[in-house]
Amino acid sequence: METTTHQSDDDILITGLKSGNQGAFREAVRLYTPGMMAVARFYLDHASAEEIVQDCWVTVIDAVQTFEGRSGLKTWLHRIVANRAKNHLRKTKREVNADFSEALDPDLAARFAPNGRWATPPSLKTNESAQALMENGALSDCLDRHLSALPETQRSALMLYEAHQHKSDDVCNILDVSASNLRVLLHRARQKIFLMVETFQETGEC
Amino acid sequence: MLMCRDLARIASDYIDGELGTGKVMSVKMHLLMCGRCRSFIGSLRASIELMNAHSSQQLDEDLVRRIDERVSESLNARRSGNDTSDP
Repeated sequence: METTTHQSDDDILITGLKSGNQGAFREAVRLYTPGMMAVARFYLDHASAEEIVQDCWVTVIDAVQTFEGRSGLKTWLHRIVANRAKNHLRKTKREVNADFSEALDPDLAARFAPNGRWATPPSLKTNESAQALMENGALSDCLDRHLSALPETQRSALMLYEAHQHKSDDVCNILDVSASNLRVLLHRARQKIFLMVETFQETGEC
Repeated sequence: MLMCRDLARIASDYIDGELGTGKVMSVKMHLLMCGRCRSFIGSLRASIELMNAHSSQQLDEDLVRRIDERVSESLNARRSGNDTSDP
């Protein structure tokens, strides 16, 4: 559910977009392109994803006239990108490659003894707030590297769910995955980030 | 009996409130007795927060500029309408 503030912000933006206001488009492009790229990258390689997202924005100039606001602007844009990306995928006869079979990351799984207890317990110290940790530039760079290294499917799921705060149903719809498969993608990605932060805190290295 | 490995497998579901009541109870029972898993859940939560604090910063300026150019070309083309013979 979008908040009231978002709805009214969206309303002003939508009016601007409908009237073809260049400033409104600039604002919308800055606001919504990262999420649209996350959607497109779930399905396509980077170059094709950029192409699809650019094309979508040009389409939006006309399509926004028929936008009725039943879904939020963000969800509407993400659905347009998803449909285009799926079409593109179909034309190129390729498929999304994702592993939904195991919820536990192999590196984390290796830290348990055969009896199911921790053999190498977590060593991450969590007394610093996230914001304070982010002020460490090296950690921020390291996070960038690890986020880029995630499988696209995991990264997209993570971005849409966390950064763009879609509801699970929306993410499943946009990415064409079942609820349980979305849970696997999210959990796998989060474990990778956990392992990265732990290593960084322990060794100071990425 | 829920083991540490089982808990690690469903930790995100627990954090996001996606587990059923029975499962939540057994996770809570386990966490009461197991400091290592409490530390894991806390660390996973912290990692999620960290990532959220981080990912809001990302924007590909070059891509944004290219989109702005294409959108503005299309808008101008529409604005000048059909009154020009230029292709």
